[in-house]
Amino acid sequence: MNKKKIITIILGIGIISLFIAYQIYNKPHVNVLDVKSDIIITADKIIDDFSSDETKANRSYLDKIIKVSGTISELKLEKQKGIITLKTNHDFGSVLCHLSDQATQKINLLKVGQTIILKGICTGFLMDVILIKSEIVNKKNLNT
Amino acid sequence: MKTTYTFLICFLFIYNTNSQEQYLTKNGVIKFFSSTPIEDIKAENNQVLSIIDTSTKKMAISILIKSFLFEKALMQEHFNENYLESDKFPKATFKGDILNFNKIGGLETKCDVKGIITIHGVSKEIVIPSIFTRIGNTIFVKGEFGLFLEDFSIKIPRLVVKKIAKEIKVTFELNHKPYKK
Repeated sequence: MNKKKIITIILGIGIISLFIAYQIYNKPHVNVLDVKSDIIITADKIIDDFSSDETKANRSYLDKIIKVSGTISELKLEKQKGIITLKTNHDFGSVLCHLSDQATQKINLLKVGQTIILKGICTGFLMDVILIKSEIVNKKNLNT
Repeated sequence: MKTTYTFLICFLFIYNTNSQEQYLTKNGVIKFFSSTPIEDIKAENNQVLSIIDTSTKKMAISILIKSFLFEKALMQEHFNENYLESDKFPKATFKGDILNFNKIGGLETKCDVKGIITIHGVSKEIVIPSIFTRIGNTIFVKGEFGLFLEDFSIKIPRLVVKKIAKEIKVTFELNHKPYKK
């Protein structure tokens, strides 16, 4: 009787831990829309920070979900993926926002010169500050 | 005085046309594959910065490690935190010379690019076999090569060592356009 109990308990723990391991293995990617952004900033400020001290800026912005506001200087589609360039006061650098599949469908509604707020994950600075999985933020969900 | 100005203006014009010798892409694609009997892993980076200078025949590539996207979030996390340590080494770079650059024309031309690749803070000399195509004002470069993890002191824990190939296959597609400010 006791043996049976022990076996059931061990089996139970085994099944639960397998289930948990499976859940961890398959854990979903961050959904940018659902997560509250860590930082809200203008395109000018973020490029200033990266060009003045990249190591420090990396520490504050890398992997963070960031809301950037700015003026659209270029809109393009590359391999069915939308890319929005935000103008900055720097000669070379800008903020390059690679859109999510969902946001790419809305790119036709946008115009060059329009001001916009984009929310994405900052992966770093090459010539430009790069945001991936970006979503277009409406005035409605400005506070999320 | 007038001649000096004319000379200067002429010089500026020449200088301007010279600046058209830089070709660039900000959204090149680099993918890598690791294939073992247990698991296939692949990741894709669509934010590759690559610059070709046609006067010096040099090529420079810079990529952000965090821009690599994996199918599974957990793999991406391990890749960044444990293997590539992307907080410490956020970029990988390549700088090299395009050998036989003058042969490149409208047809696909095989050209080796020889230079230094830096990943995970470790630099190594490498020759990357590439295919160049120059049509109109674009220079398209693609290719495929292998990298060994141990060359870049990337340590894989024993528990998952069978799931990750020792040699990683890397492919790239870079479509350069003339650089305008």
